[in-house]
Amino acid sequence: MLSRVADSLYWMARNIERAETNARVLSVQLIHMLEVSEQHVSNRDWEEIIEISASLSDYYSGHDGIEREEVIHYLTQDRQNFNSISNCMIYARENAKATRDMIPDGLWEVLNQYYLEHTGESRFSSYQQAQHALQLTMQTSTTAQGIVESSMTRGVPYAFLKIGKWLERAEKTARILNVLCEKTLKEKQAANVSNYYYWLTALQQVNGYNAYIKEYPPTMKPEHVLSFIIDNRGFPRSIRYCIDHVMEAIHHLEDGKISHYSQQLFHTLATVQEEFTAAHIDDMSTEELMAFLDRFQNRCQEMSRLFSETYYLIDPVKIK
Amino acid sequence: MNNYKVASYFDEMLQDENKPKPHYQRFHRLMEQYTEDELREKHETAQMNFLRQGITFTVYHEAVGTERTMPFDFIPIIIPTDKWAQIEKGMKQRVSALNAFLDDMYHDQEIIKDGLIPRELVETNPNYYHSQVGGLDIPLNNHIFLAGIDLIRDEQGEYRVLEDNLRNPSGMSYVFQNRYVMRQVYPELFFQHSIETLEHQLSMLHQSLLSHVPPNAIEPLAPTAVLLTPGMFNSAYYDHVFLAQQMGIELVEGRDLYVRDDKVFMKTIRGLRRVDIIYKRIDDDFMDPEAFWPDSELGVPGLLRAYQKGNVSILNGIGNGIADDKAMYAYVPDMIRYYLNEEPLIKNVPTYFLSDKAQRDEVLEKLDQLVVKNVGASGGYDLLIGPQASPEEREQFRHKIMENPAKYIAQPTIKLSRAPAFQGDDFYPCHVDLRVFVMGGKDSHVLPGGLSRVALKEGSLVVNSSQGGGGKDTWVLTEGEINHA
Repeated sequence: MLSRVADSLYWMARNIERAETNARVLSVQLIHMLEVSEQHVSNRDWEEIIEISASLSDYYSGHDGIEREEVIHYLTQDRQNFNSISNCMIYARENAKATRDMIPDGLWEVLNQYYLEHTGESRFSSYQQAQHALQLTMQTSTTAQGIVESSMTRGVPYAFLKIGKWLERAEKTARILNVLCEKTLKEKQAANVSNYYYWLTALQQVNGYNAYIKEYPPTMKPEHVLSFIIDNRGFPRSIRYCIDHVMEAIHHLEDGKISHYSQQLFHTLATVQEEFTAAHIDDMSTEELMAFLDRFQNRCQEMSRLFSETYYLIDPVKIK
Repeated sequence: MNNYKVASYFDEMLQDENKPKPHYQRFHRLMEQYTEDELREKHETAQMNFLRQGITFTVYHEAVGTERTMPFDFIPIIIPTDKWAQIEKGMKQRVSALNAFLDDMYHDQEIIKDGLIPRELVETNPNYYHSQVGGLDIPLNNHIFLAGIDLIRDEQGEYRVLEDNLRNPSGMSYVFQNRYVMRQVYPELFFQHSIETLEHQLSMLHQSLLSHVPPNAIEPLAPTAVLLTPGMFNSAYYDHVFLAQQMGIELVEGRDLYVRDDKVFMKTIRGLRRVDIIYKRIDDDFMDPEAFWPDSELGVPGLLRAYQKGNVSILNGIGNGIADDKAMYAYVPDMIRYYLNEEPLIKNVPTYFLSDKAQRDEVLEKLDQLVVKNVGASGGYDLLIGPQASPEEREQFRHKIMENPAKYIAQPTIKLSRAPAFQGDDFYPCHVDLRVFVMGGKDSHVLPGGLSRVALKEGSLVVNSSQGGGGKDTWVLTEGEINHA
C-alpha cells in the first residue's frame, strides 16, 4: 500500500474517533448543565472541557473569557479550532476522499453525507439543536466503525484504520483522566459527594458508565473507576485495551516477525505494556497518577512518531 | 409532453410533436405512464444519488473550488444497432489514423514530406515534444490508450466529429454511474428494452492497459500498472478514483513516485516498489520538472528518462497534443485517406483556417453566423457563438483573430440535434452531443454508447459540465431489438 494512502487511512480513523469523543464530552457537559442549575456551572468546568477537546491556550488567544454559547460554537463548528467537531469530520472526509479506492463505498458515503448536511450549519440556536448535532456525530462515527467491521477485509488498510483509532482513543482517555486528577487535587477538601460526581462524569465521557456498573455495582470508588478506565483488559476504551490492540495489529501487519525496521516500534510498545503491568494504579496518590498519565501521553506521541517512521508515512492530506 | 416543440431541429426521440421515432416507441409509451409527481420524485432521488455518492467534479472560481454534481437527465439517448455499428467502425478508423499520424510525427514525418500537412502547424504547436520523445519506439506503437471522440448530429441527423480528445479524456466514470443510477431509480424502463451492457468494459480497459508492457519490465507477464492523478483537487478526480478502483490499480500522485537509476518506483509502507505502466491523467508539461515545466509540483523528476530507456510505459503517449487540437482536427479526414487509404466513415464539421487570408476575410464577414474557437482551449472556454453573441463580444473576437489568426478556427453553427429533457417541471428540448470512448492496445475496442452530454440551460449550445451541462444515459440497442417495438 502507498505510504500516503496508509497515512490518510490512519488519520481518517483518528479524526473520526476524535470527533466522536469530543462530541460525547460536550454532550455529557450539556446534560450536566441541565441537572445542576446553571449558576453552579463554573468557568472552570468549561475550561476543563476545552482542555480535553482542544487547547485552552489556543482558545484564550482568540477569546477574552468564557461564555457558554461561544464555547459551544468553538468546540463544535468553529473552523478556527483545528479540533472542532466540524473540522475533524471535514478532515476525515478529505482523508476518505484520498483513499476512496481502498475503503468501502458505504464508509465514504456516511462521511460525505455528514459533510453535506452538518458542516455548513449556522450557529446552534438552542440547547436541543446542539445536543441533536452531537448525537448525530456520535452516530456517524459508530456507523462508520460498523461499516469498517462488517465489510473490510482484515488486511493492511484495516490495520491502519484500527491503529489510528486505538492510539487516538488511548491518548484521549489519558487526557480525560489527567484533567480529572488535576481537578480532584485542587479540590482535595471538597466533600465526597462532588467527587462521586467527578468519577461519574469521567465514566460517561469515555462511554463506560454502564459497563462499569456491571463490574462494580453499585459503588463509585475512585480506585475502581481508575483501574477500570486505565487497566481493564476487556473494556474497549481502557488505555490498556487500546495499547494491547495496537500491539496485536502491528504483530499481524508484520506476520508476527520483528524486523530490523520495526524493532524500535515493537520495543516501545512492549515497554508501555510493561509499565502498565508494573504500575499499581490502586496504590497511587493523585500526584503519582498524574505523573504516570503524563508519561503515558508522551509515550503516545512517541508511538505515533515511530509508527509513522516505520511505515514511511508522509504528511496527511493538506487541507486547502 | 404537451408544450414540447420539435421545431426545425433534428430530434433524437420524436418524429414530430406526437410521434416518437421507431426506436423510441417503447420508451415513449413507458414515459407517458408516469404521473407528474412520480417524475418529480424520481428526478430528485436521482440527483441526490450522485451527491451522496460524491460523484462530483470541482469547479474553480477565483481559486476557490466547489464540488458539484453533473445534473442527470433520465431520458436516455437510444441508438439503434445499425447506427451504432456505423459509429463504432468510424471511431476505430479515426483513432487508427490518428495513431498512425502520431507515430509518423515522432518518426519520419512522411505526411509532411508528402505535403499534406504544413510543417509549421506541427512545429509551432506547444504540445509538440520532439526533443523529448522524437524517434522513440513505444510498446505496440500505440500512442492512444484511451480516446474520447465527441460527436454531434446535424439537421439531417448525420453524425459528425466535433473534437478529438487524445490526452486526458474524462467522463468515463459518468457513463457507468449514469447507468447505475438509472437502474436504481428507473428500473422499470429496462424491463422492456434489450441494451448493450457495460459490465465487461472495465476489464477490457484493464487488459488494454496491461498490454502496454515496457521492453525492460522485470515480469512482462504480470506488470504493475498505476494511475497517476494530479490529486483530489483536480476537477476530474472522481473519474480517476473510479477508473483506478475498477481496474484494481493503485491511484498515485506525483509525490508517491520516485525515479532511481531511471526506473520508476512507488513509495509504499514496505519501501519502494517497481512500476511498469503509468496511465497518466496529468498534462504532459506537468509530468516531469526536469524535462518539461520546471515548477511542476505534480510531476516526478526523472520520469521522462525512465520512459526513454524503455523502463516504464506512459499512456496516453507523451506529445499526443499535436493530434487533437482544433487546427489539426481539420486534417484528420486527410490522415484517414493517407494512412489507411479509406474514406472517412464519420465526417468532420467544415472548418475555416483563419491564418489563410481568403478564409479569414470570409469569416470576419459573417462572424454572426459562425462559431469561433481557440485551437488550444477546451471546456467551452475562449469560444464565440456568433448568433448568440452580443455585437461587443463579436467585436472583441474580431480583434483577437486579427491579432493572432493562427490561434483560432471557425465553423458554421450547426443546428445540433436535440432531445427532450426533464429537470423537475416540464419536458423541453435540449442540445446533446456524445463522447465516444475508444480503447487501444493489442486490439481496439469501442465502449458501447458513451457519455451523452446535454446543454440543460434552455437554448444553450454548451454541453461542458463546467458550464452547466448535464449527462444522460446512452443505450445501444442489441441486435433485433427494434423489431419488437
